[in-house]
Amino acid sequence: MKTRKQKILNWILIIVMAAFSLLFLFPLIWMIFNSFKGDAAIAHDLHSFAAFLPPALSKGFFHNYTQILFHTDFLRYLVNTVFYAIIMVVLGIIVNGLAGYALAKINFPFRDRWLLIIMLLMIVPMESIITIHFFFIAKLGLLNTVIGLVLPGIVNPFNIFLFRQVFISLPDDIWEAAQLDYCSPIKYFFTMVLPMAKSAVATVGVLTFLGVWNDYLWPSLVFTSNRLLTVQIGLNAITANENTTMGMKLAVITLVTIPVIIMYALFSKQIVEGVVSTGGKEG
Amino acid sequence: MSFVELRNICKKYKGNERYSVENFNLEIEPHEFIAFVGPSGCGKSTTLRMIAGFEEITSGDLFIERKRMNEVAPRDRGISMVFQNYALYPHMTVEKNIAYGLQNMKVPKDEIKKKVDYAINMLGLEEYRKRKPKNLSGGQRQRVALGRAIVKNQKLFLMDEPLSNLDAKLRVSMRTEISRIHREIGATTIYVTHDQVEAMTMADRIVIMKDGIVQQVGKPMDLYDHPVNKFVAGFIGSPQMNFFDVVVDGDKLTFSDGASMTLPDRIASKLSCHNKKLILGIRGEDIKVDNLALDTFKNNILQAKINDTEIMGNDNNLYFTFGNTNAVARVSKYDVKEIGETLSFIFETHHLHFFDPDTENALL
Repeated sequence: MKTRKQKILNWILIIVMAAFSLLFLFPLIWMIFNSFKGDAAIAHDLHSFAAFLPPALSKGFFHNYTQILFHTDFLRYLVNTVFYAIIMVVLGIIVNGLAGYALAKINFPFRDRWLLIIMLLMIVPMESIITIHFFFIAKLGLLNTVIGLVLPGIVNPFNIFLFRQVFISLPDDIWEAAQLDYCSPIKYFFTMVLPMAKSAVATVGVLTFLGVWNDYLWPSLVFTSNRLLTVQIGLNAITANENTTMGMKLAVITLVTIPVIIMYALFSKQIVEGVVSTGGKEG
Repeated sequence: MSFVELRNICKKYKGNERYSVENFNLEIEPHEFIAFVGPSGCGKSTTLRMIAGFEEITSGDLFIERKRMNEVAPRDRGISMVFQNYALYPHMTVEKNIAYGLQNMKVPKDEIKKKVDYAINMLGLEEYRKRKPKNLSGGQRQRVALGRAIVKNQKLFLMDEPLSNLDAKLRVSMRTEISRIHREIGATTIYVTHDQVEAMTMADRIVIMKDGIVQQVGKPMDLYDHPVNKFVAGFIGSPQMNFFDVVVDGDKLTFSDGASMTLPDRIASKLSCHNKKLILGIRGEDIKVDNLALDTFKNNILQAKINDTEIMGNDNNLYFTFGNTNAVARVSKYDVKEIGETLSFIFETHHLHFFDPDTENALL
């Protein structure tokens, strides 16, 4: 039972949090509502409260969006990015998951040293080794290919560590029971380990997806062909085009931002669980 | 011909000085229910896990149906196992947990359904078949684990302390259930427990272990009545057997506080001791306090003050200090005594046990 004082404090906390949320949300709200307006309306509403209100529903309500989706290459960039992200998510879960499982459950020489090396790799920023990646991919003749884009990004030290931390708490007797149920190690990994570590799988999946979605530097190095570009490069190209109106720019930014917000909203619980497990006590 | 044979089985973990299991020899007959019992760390679970194939055998030979199994993978040993923590697959429903092994064995679907239905009915899990393990009680989870073991029709069941996570009441009912399943299925069963009551009530034979060494193998009542050493005598039976330091000189037995009693000639001649220190063991129920016993053995009446009493319902436990040792007598529920009262009692001489103080081996 809460006391009166606690209730008042609770309300104050809610009001402060709501105010902060609005503060952070206002550019987003402004962007979304103005993405449905023409440039004249945006300029007209700019200094009034109407800037935070959507326009009335009319025939041209989705004009900016139809322009972006059907009169630019944005839809192709969108499909490309989703395709790359799916490949990266699937391969990232399998490869990092298998590595994490080995580090958690299989005894092999210098296992803990390997883990330490992998953890040390977490502090190396991607930008510092991107040139090496580029030359490597170029030497392999993989520039302008999907493999060239995904190959350097599949193995991720943080994801390996995250999987390892979750897998280490899985009870060994389930593996023993599965062996007696004629389950092979690979089948065990896919039908038991991954479903039992749903939060880690969801976390790695979402973080990988967002990584691919938000990546600008690596795809801009690997791809020169317009046919293969991703949304972030597409976004840059579209917004930099002098024929693109402000409304269209806001529409394309909205289209790039919304999936990120949806992903976080859907999987925030799993992401928190998964990330917390990396700082958790060993099982 | 034995169904399972363990020949000089030893287990030594890397970095350990001593063996966890040393020279374990045992022959298990088909359909037999064997219990491995002993205190924590005695090597009983390690031995079971070596039989299952989850622990490497350091030396010795393991045979199942006359085939040497040391290097055979667990799945190919023809065993089913019930684990202490159930080891159910948490993301699968009850029926999927039970069917999983059969699916991997490529058993036809209609046969899987028949077998799963049989196990579910047998274990009373009908209304829980679509539930996941987290929505089941401890007893229900244990039944699912049993179901998973049953459906595969293996000839050897291994059970690693399957009831230790259940509450006392449920343990008793599951004990009966496991015994019933054993009778119905007829599979040879090796059951590990630290609870001597479980071992006594369920097993055809018991293997008692201590510090990795088998102390005694035998039928429950053989172990109870004829323990080979003080450890077995103390481990089997509840309340624990009472032990007294005594000196035996001919037929005279003297306790460390000076009290004495006369031994029957049969025992005295077998012991043939002259002023020798021994350990006397006697079970609580063999300390008699009733008038008939006291009248019959007037010359051997001993006395002590009662320190505590425990009313068990069907009988009473009377705690007293005698011969500088705390002891307990298990008496009829009608022999009601008060704390502080002087208790007159005799030791049933037919059921006296004597142990060598150095080796702790039984002398009679």
